[in-house]
This record gives sequence, C-alpha cells and structure tokens, in this order.
Amino acid sequence: MKPLQIPIEHKTLANGLHIVVTPDSTAPVVTVGVYYKIGFRLEPQGRSGFAHLFEHMMFQGSENAAKMQHIKLINSSGGVLNGSTMYDVTNYYEAVPSNALERVLWLEADRMRALKVDDENLRNQRDVVKEEVRVNVMNQPYGGFPWLDMPPVAFRNWANAHNFYGDFADLDAASLADVQTFFRTYYVPNNAVLLILGDVNPADGFALAEKHFASIPAGPAPRFADPSEPKQSEERRGNVLEKFGTLPAMAIGYVLPQRRTADWCAMALLDQALHGGRAGRMYRELVLEKQLAVEADGGVDDIFGYDGPSQMTTRILHKPEITSDATLVAFDAIIQEVQEKGITDSELEQLKVKWRSDYFATLEGGRGGYMPKYGLMHLLACFTLFDGQPQLVNSILDGFLAVTKEQVQSVARTYLKPANRAIVFRAPAATSKEAA
Amino acid sequence: MATQAPRTASTVPALAAEREVRWPHRSKGKLANGLELILVESHTIPKFHGELFFRSGNAAAADRAISLAEMTATMVRTGTSKSSSREIEERLRGLGADLSVSAGQDTSAISFAGLSDQAEPLLQLVNELAREASFPAPEFDRERRQKLEEVKLERTQPGFLAGERLRKVLFDKHPYSLVSPAEEQVAAYSVEQLQSLYRDFYTPENAILLLVGDFEPAKMRDTVEKVFGNWSGEKPILQEFPAPPTPIGRRVYLVHVPGAVQTQILCGCHAITRKHPDWVKIGLTNSLYGGAFNSRLVMNIREDKGYTYSPRSAVNPLRQYGYFSVSAAVRNEVVGASLTEIFYEIDKLRSLAVPENELLDAQNYLTGVFSMGLATQSGLLSQISTLALNELPDDYLETYRQNVRALAPGDVLTAARAYFDSANMQIVVVGDRAQIESQAALFGELKIFDARGALIP
Repeated sequence: MKPLQIPIEHKTLANGLHIVVTPDSTAPVVTVGVYYKIGFRLEPQGRSGFAHLFEHMMFQGSENAAKMQHIKLINSSGGVLNGSTMYDVTNYYEAVPSNALERVLWLEADRMRALKVDDENLRNQRDVVKEEVRVNVMNQPYGGFPWLDMPPVAFRNWANAHNFYGDFADLDAASLADVQTFFRTYYVPNNAVLLILGDVNPADGFALAEKHFASIPAGPAPRFADPSEPKQSEERRGNVLEKFGTLPAMAIGYVLPQRRTADWCAMALLDQALHGGRAGRMYRELVLEKQLAVEADGGVDDIFGYDGPSQMTTRILHKPEITSDATLVAFDAIIQEVQEKGITDSELEQLKVKWRSDYFATLEGGRGGYMPKYGLMHLLACFTLFDGQPQLVNSILDGFLAVTKEQVQSVARTYLKPANRAIVFRAPAATSKEAA
Repeated sequence: MATQAPRTASTVPALAAEREVRWPHRSKGKLANGLELILVESHTIPKFHGELFFRSGNAAAADRAISLAEMTATMVRTGTSKSSSREIEERLRGLGADLSVSAGQDTSAISFAGLSDQAEPLLQLVNELAREASFPAPEFDRERRQKLEEVKLERTQPGFLAGERLRKVLFDKHPYSLVSPAEEQVAAYSVEQLQSLYRDFYTPENAILLLVGDFEPAKMRDTVEKVFGNWSGEKPILQEFPAPPTPIGRRVYLVHVPGAVQTQILCGCHAITRKHPDWVKIGLTNSLYGGAFNSRLVMNIREDKGYTYSPRSAVNPLRQYGYFSVSAAVRNEVVGASLTEIFYEIDKLRSLAVPENELLDAQNYLTGVFSMGLATQSGLLSQISTLALNELPDDYLETYRQNVRALAPGDVLTAARAYFDSANMQIVVVGDRAQIESQAALFGELKIFDARGALIP
C-alpha cells in the first residue's frame, strides 16, 4: 500500500485568511470552498437556528453581486454550488469548469467583504427555511431523528443541547441587525479558510486568491462560548412522539473521546465494528440474527468535522411487537459482548481495510458525482481551522491503522457506560403508551 | 452595511479560456457467453466502481407479481450455494468493498466498489451472487417481514405517496404504474417465484458489466474472462405491454394525510425517453424551467415568493416511456398560489421565445455539469451506465456539448409546446384535505384518496 501523497500547499494572508490549494488535473474542473469557523453549536442564545438561517442569507446578495446574481453566475459558468451549516463550521462551495475559477473567487471574496441584504431578503429566506424544516422534519416520518431529538436529552450546555434547525419563534425574532452582527463577528477572513482543489496551478491559485481576498480587512478575533459539558454521572433518557411513522424507534448515544487521541482512533474502529453496514454487530444481531429490529444503523457522523462534544449514536427502528425494553436489552448485550470479549484479529483486519477504502472514497467524492473532492475539501478545511494542519489529510489514516484489538476493547469498557450515554425513545403516536 | 475596505475588481471577471474536455477511452467487448463488457480507466483513487446490469426489472415481471425483481434483488446477497449471509458480508468488509443489489422498472443490478488491489476477489463474489444465490428459507422469511414493515413505512412519506399516485395516473394499466406492493402482495411472495425470476433474468446474455477505475484495461479484461467466462444462460423473452393512454385534461388527485403541516405537490405528463432525438432539447428546456438552481421556477416560488425550499422539475426517462414532472413541498396556505405559478412558468415557456442570454446561461450550465462526471469514478460510471443501458451512440459523450450548444430559442419553444403538456398535466397533492381541498379543486376535477390508495368519496 502506497502512503498518501496528496499535494497540499498552505499559505496564510496578512489578514489571517488561510488558503489551501491541492492541484489535480484529471478533469478540467475546480472545486472551491470557503469555510467559516462558526456553526450552529455556538450561535447566539435566543436565536436557535440562526447560523443556518444566516447561511441562507449569504446567497441573498453582496456588495457587487445582487440577489440571484451569485447563483446565476455560478450556474451560467457551468457549475453547481451549495452551502451547509454544521456543528462547528459553515461551508460554501462550488464546483465549476476550471476556466471559471477567478469568477468564483471574486464572488466568494465579495460576500466575505460585504454582505448586502435587506428585510425583504430576510423575510423570504425565513419562509424558505421554515419549509425546509417542514419538509425535512415536521412533515416526515422520523424527521430529525435522532440528530435533533438527541441533543436536548444528552447535553446540559445550551450550546450542545438546543434546536439547531431553530424554533420558529426564534427564527421569527431574528432581525437584520442580528444578521449584520453575526456577519461582522464571525465572517472575518481571520476566521476562515479558502480551499481550491482540482484543475489549478498552485501559483496561479494563490495569486488569484491574493488578488481578491488580500484587501479584506481582518476583524477582531471572534470570542467563542465554551462548549464543554458538565460531568455526566448517570444515564439520561427522553421521549419524543412520532407523528407519522409506524414503528417504535430509539437512539442510544455515547459521548466520544477527545478528538485526535489514541482513544478516538480506537473508538472509530469500534464504531465500524458496531455500525459498519450489514457486517456490523448492530445490524447483524438486531436485524439479521435476533430479528427484533427493522433498521439498526448510525454511528459517528463526520468524525473529522466537529470540534466539541459529540456522540456515537445507534439508531434503531424495531418491530411493534417487541418492547423498547427488550430491544434495549438486546442492544446492551451487544455492548457487553464487545466489552468482555473484545474483537477478533480477523475482525480488526477487516475493519482496517474497510476504513482505508472508505477514506479514499471520502477524499474523492462525498457529495455524489457532481461535487468532486467535497470530502477532501471538508477534511482539509477542518484540519486547518481546528488543528492548523491541513497536511493531516496525508497522515491521519496512520493512527487508525495502528489501533490494536486491546485498545478497541479498552475504549468499549471506558466509554460505552450508562453514565456516558443518553437514550431517546420515539414512539408512534398511535402506540405511545409504551416506552420509558 | 458600510464597507471601509478598499475595493478590488467590482465587475464580474470574464471566464478564462476553456480547457478541453477529453473523455477517456471506453474499451468495449463481449465474452463468448454473451456478457457485454465496458472498461474505463480513471485513476483518481486506488479503487474501482462497477455495475453488473441485467436488462430486466420489475416491469418485465409484472405478470408474475408486483416489484418481484426488487424482492429478488434483496434476497441475492443473503446466501449462495457456497456462502452464508454472514460470510458474504464479512468477505465484503475484508475486501474494503461496498455492494448493493437492487432492481428498478427496467433493470436489476449488482453495484459495487472496492480497492483496486482486491479487484479479482470482489469480482468473484459478484459472480457468485449473480450465479449461485440460494434463497435460504429463513432468510426469505426475514426479508419478507422486513419488506412488510418497509411498505407500511413508505406510506407515511409524502414524497412516496405523490410519486406513486402520479405513476398510477400516467401509466394506467402499463407495469410502469406499479410502484410498490401492498401488504397482502408482499405476504404472497414465494421463494419459488424469486428463484424462477433469478434463473430467467440473471444471465450473461441479458447482462452488461461496467467497470470504471484504477486498473489496466487489458489485465482487467483477462480477469473478467477468468471470473465470468464459464457462465451461461439465455436472454429472457420479454413481454410487450400496450401503450398507456395519455390522460386528457387537467385532473387533481389529493392524497389525504391527516395532520400534514405541508403539502407535497407533484405534477406530470407524458414526455420522451432517453433515446428520443429530442432528448437534448427537452433537457435544456427542463433546465430553463426548473432543473437548475437559477431556473425560472426556483427563482419564482423559492427566491421571490418563499413558498418552498426545494422546487424542482425533471424529465424521468424509463426505457419505454418518459415523463416530465414538477415537484414542490409548499406550505398549506399557498397550494393554489404555487400551482398557479407552476403553470404560469410552463405556459410562458410555451408561448414566448427564451431570451438569447438566458439560453446561453442554461447551455453553459448543462455542458459544464455534464463534464463533472469526469472527475470521479462514480460520476463516470453513472455517465457510462446511461450510455450503455440506452444504447446511445458511441460518441454521445464527445458530441453532447456541441449538441446542447447548437440549440436555438425556437428549439426550446418547440420542446416546451410538445412535452410540457400544460393542458393535460396531472396534478397530485399530498396533504391534509381540510387545509387544501378547496385550493386544489380550482385546478381540475378532484379525486381524493387515502394513503393506502383507496378512493375517498
């Protein structure tokens, strides 16, 4: 196996903006991303859902590109674009034919320099966001399960525990002044990284980036609230009503070890042992062997992409005739088995091969065939903003491939304890009498 | 807000010279047993992606049972004459591979991806699944029970309910109208039915193997020959089904979901297949209408009016027939207003020539996005699959861009008039009757169904 040698060049402009370029001329396509180090975790209190609403506002017009212009310019250059709000970062990205690189950089610089939006834009996007929440959460069976249901049960710090999509009352309360304050506070070049991947010569990429971004003034370094959690001493449980679905569901989340430690690497492989598809112990035991569940999946979501308390969460939809207590007993038996017996050599070997293979797939794609290198961009951005080391992309795999089966068993014993977990029961409205 | 920052360029930078789009060589061949093979190099990562397609799916088995090819596909990975379900899953994990077996209306497929240095063992496993699936009885009982829960669950999803109703309305007695089985139809599936479909459909004469990735084609061809060479079996005899009638006049179909806090709109009409010479025209017309972020529909009902988050239109090409559809999940109060705008934008495209600059933007969008398939193995595989399954000309990839760029406003007008059949669009709305019935009824004769498909008087 060849070690990874993705060419990565990293510079920081005088205004604090990180720039990362990775050239690859396979296709005449370039992927550009701008990541800001602010996500929904640290949005202002009383303004739940604001980081995401704000992300929508970034497409509503900037100083030299009026509303609709931004989207039109990317599409009409032959490209696609989007943005997304995560726990600790918000990203904006485009994939375009490489002849449109400068145009994309100009657009990203224009909205980093000066957002230009009005009340009408805010009203419009508030309506759009409400329909987004309805289509993804309120009008869907198991909508938001468990990603919106788990935080208020599992965590005590508002940063980790609030509704990330936003209470509608909070969305309604958001004002244009809030938009401007949020922009001035967090959307400064010294809180961001620009990434250029694909068909670009690094020298040209840096030159164009400097031309458009260097004159954007740095802002005061953002002050971030402390996202740490008070120590948990007992299992936490909560209930949510399922309005449409027919099956009882539950989610069990365990808080993860500190990022970039040996325990964290071992936990990632344990996660694969438990949740790695149909070979994973959860699916195998609960769906295939004991046949209690219809779905059993989950795990660590985006292991490289968070910078605060996070969980490994199992998601189970079980048969209506099986009680939630019985399902939990079966789940606990799986946890207990791995704590007592660990995993086998051949299992660990398989997990590592699969981990390596999945890592390559992440680097290449990650958002389908039409957003090439999304995964590589995401990893480079997170390693730059959280660790100051984009080069970790080439070496981070080593830590996972060095994990021993003893370490896997040890993290199972240390972290998979009731006092480190939270459980959400989501019972269908028709049969909601059951559940703890 | 005021900006004290010194400005840089305040006008949009022009596009630089375009780099040539060069599609990789497709190495095509056929084994003596009839298995077609297409190999394409792509060295982006040390992996490869593949599809083993069989040219028969649910439609070809419609006379046996509904969605039978899909149920068969589900069972294929649960056991072979050599391996148990658990052994299959662990082998896949040990090879670093992903695999799924699925079926749609027109095809059944084993789709897979794995590490290049493990290509042969993965292909051997694919071969085993394609030829030696054993349909163990206990696995069948389990999968059938799973399917029963799945079909109950999908009837709680607005998108599913809308799609199912539209298919019924457009395709009537043709198998394309059959989307998913009822609970009693799932209960009636038997192992024998699946085995017989598997014997008939999963044959080399009926198959095409596509591989895209980090390999050397000549060596890969030898490996394929070695693994699949001694497979045999004939092409199934396919039934012909009479053409579905085109529904005349706008009609409205309301699927009643009590308590729905939003309404899923889905409108559609018959259009064309991928093979039709007008395909590129309808693609461009769709892109202008609602197929892209900056399209007219999205700009109107999302960016201007805020009725919805994700409005979209699409041309859906099945092998025998295609249909055009428009979808939007909107808030309950604006169902009527949204439909008005949906039809306004269709009618506008049917009556007024598209301005040249808007056309050029849409042409650039389509040609640019088309080339992105080049950048990833999965993107390339998807392009090659489309070509192979629709038997499109060899130079389709190379000529697509110039074909798009050759179109004029008159072509869009013609395509919109021919295929965006405003007067005969069928309208499906999935939501709470009490909230939306009076709005929906403004658009045509209304019928109301429950989530199980029963007519509500």
